Amino acid sequence: MIRIENLTVQFGAVRPLDGLSAELTQPIIGLVGPNGAGKTTLLNVFSGFITPVTGSIELDGRDLLPLSPTRRVQAGLRRTFQTEQVADDLSAWDNVLALADHIGLKGATIGDDVERALAFTGLGPRAQVMGAALNLYERRMVEIARALVGGPRLILMDEPGAGLDEAEALRLRQCILGIPKAFGATVLLIDHDVDLISATCGETLVLDFGKRLALGPTRSVLDDPVVHRAYLGAA
Amino acid sequence: MTSPSLPGEPAHLTVERPGLGRYRTLVTIPLLLMAGAVLVSLAANAYWISTLTSAAALALAAAGVALLYGQLGLVSLCQFSLIGVGGWVTLRTGFAFGWPFELSLLSGGIAASLVGVLCGLPALRLKGLYLALVTLMLAGGFQVIINAFGFPDGGSGFFGRADASQRLMLPRPLLATGNEAYFLYAVGVLALGLMLIELHRRTKPGRSWAMIRAGETTALSAGVNLLLYKAWAFALAGFLAGLAGGVLAAGVGQLDGRAFSAAESLNLFALTVVGGAYNWFGAVIAGLLLRAVPSLLTDHGVDGYLAMVIFGAALLHALVTAPTGIAGQIAGLGQWLTGLIASESTPSPAQQEAPASDKLAAETGERRP
Ligand SMILES: Nc1ncnc2c1ncn2[C@@H]1O[C@H](COP(=O)(O)OP(=O)(O)O)[C@@H](O)[C@H]1O
Ligand SMILES: [Mg+2]
Repeated sequence: MIRIENLTVQFGAVRPLDGLSAELTQPIIGLVGPNGAGKTTLLNVFSGFITPVTGSIELDGRDLLPLSPTRRVQAGLRRTFQTEQVADDLSAWDNVLALADHIGLKGATIGDDVERALAFTGLGPRAQVMGAALNLYERRMVEIARALVGGPRLILMDEPGAGLDEAEALRLRQCILGIPKAFGATVLLIDHDVDLISATCGETLVLDFGKRLALGPTRSVLDDPVVHRAYLGAA
Repeated sequence: MTSPSLPGEPAHLTVERPGLGRYRTLVTIPLLLMAGAVLVSLAANAYWISTLTSAAALALAAAGVALLYGQLGLVSLCQFSLIGVGGWVTLRTGFAFGWPFELSLLSGGIAASLVGVLCGLPALRLKGLYLALVTLMLAGGFQVIINAFGFPDGGSGFFGRADASQRLMLPRPLLATGNEAYFLYAVGVLALGLMLIELHRRTKPGRSWAMIRAGETTALSAGVNLLLYKAWAFALAGFLAGLAGGVLAAGVGQLDGRAFSAAESLNLFALTVVGGAYNWFGAVIAGLLLRAVPSLLTDHGVDGYLAMVIFGAALLHALVTAPTGIAGQIAGLGQWLTGLIASESTPSPAQQEAPASDKLAAETGERRP
């Protein structure tokens, strides 16, 4: 369970997050809102790249903000980026191993963990291909596989569907849907694809100007006229 | 190309595990270097043997510079000073304790490694030009210190300075007292140093450096301790520079303080880039450029300063059109040839690496040019 309380981020005169509070309990949670609403900023606060001026975040009862970014990873926090981050000169395998290296896994189980994550994301036959030679879909899958090793608790995904074609988006959807059961992790998913959100997310948080516009079961939130006006209507 | 299969269905799909092929260079480095060194030692005269011994030593230091620049995009301009530190400590422990040379050499490497980490500390806050400037100022500081105290030559006291009349020479290792033998010994140390780097690159530190290259936020969100792995790179680079100093010291038996100016650190960096910071043999090329090529020019009656002009032009060329250096071009040529020969067989894993410095420009992890 994720508990966000009174979270405020300030950059000069801009407040990308403004007193945000939310309690999120579903295995897959949607995070939507117009461009500039503060979605990525919220993920950056989770990751520890941005320090909020006020507020707190709890993950399964544990206070996240006092931890360093690397400690958060050890505590099970994972992340994929809006622009996918894959090391070009490492193989898919080594890209995943690069995270498994740092969470205190023992010898042989590391390999098994990496293998499981790569198989789950369908990258098995491509495991020894260099990052630079992978296509966009495969690179996104490498990022997701990296998020799956070492006992993830919460995986933050920043627009994983951006730039994928229809077939790829479908495979991505199935991958995300399988994560909570196969890995026991919660997924917090940012995406502009309403179909993806409504097909995967049990509940959805809508941000607008850094504030909570709506929170609840995905269907009812997406049907909310207020949300329509602020976001879907404008899109 | 295999089309990616459906994700979400657990592993009946086989995942291709990494093979031992990744450690190939650990075998090719010693084989190639030692074979080349044996051939050279049969053919070369005493002058060239001593020149190439220095070149092998400086290649070690260049390998450290290449590690910092190629792996992390860090420009450290005090690595030649660290050669001095390694040389100083090797001489000092050698004279004071009469240790076997290998032990003195190791002490020099470790001392330079520690100093290297201290010099690298600014890097944990500074980048690019600022780091370059700070390290260059440190190199200037070293120059002053070395000028003031000189290198130990068998005297007593902390600084180990003797009267001019009774200066001692550090004995060479028992394994290699002759010139040819010592040349082979130096190349052996070089091979070990290069293998040490390759081993790092293919294991946990190498993967961590690759993540840092991909972006510091990427590295952080993979759990990489930025401080630790940057310091580690500085330690390793310093260690290799220290070994270079020890090898130089025993080669001649003495070191000359005037040889450790800040300008030498600049040269070392520039020629490492020209040689190629992304392939192991780039450091070997850099060593040759630093010592063998100037000798070659002098042999042919060309002024040594002209060499500087040529090197300047080569650096410009490298920075502008060939960021992977001479070694990168050779590797590219090699790949092209293998591709030509075996165009129908399975594609070789393209390991062409982009300069880390380019990638580190895109630091945020969110936006890329
Ligand atoms: N590092 C930063 N410095 C200043 N302003 C920022 C920074 N990061 C984000 N912002 C601002 O915060 C707001 C929210 O941005 P972001 O979280 O990226 O939005 P979203 O991901 O929802 O599109 C925007 O107005 C953006 O310009
Ligand atoms: Mg965003």
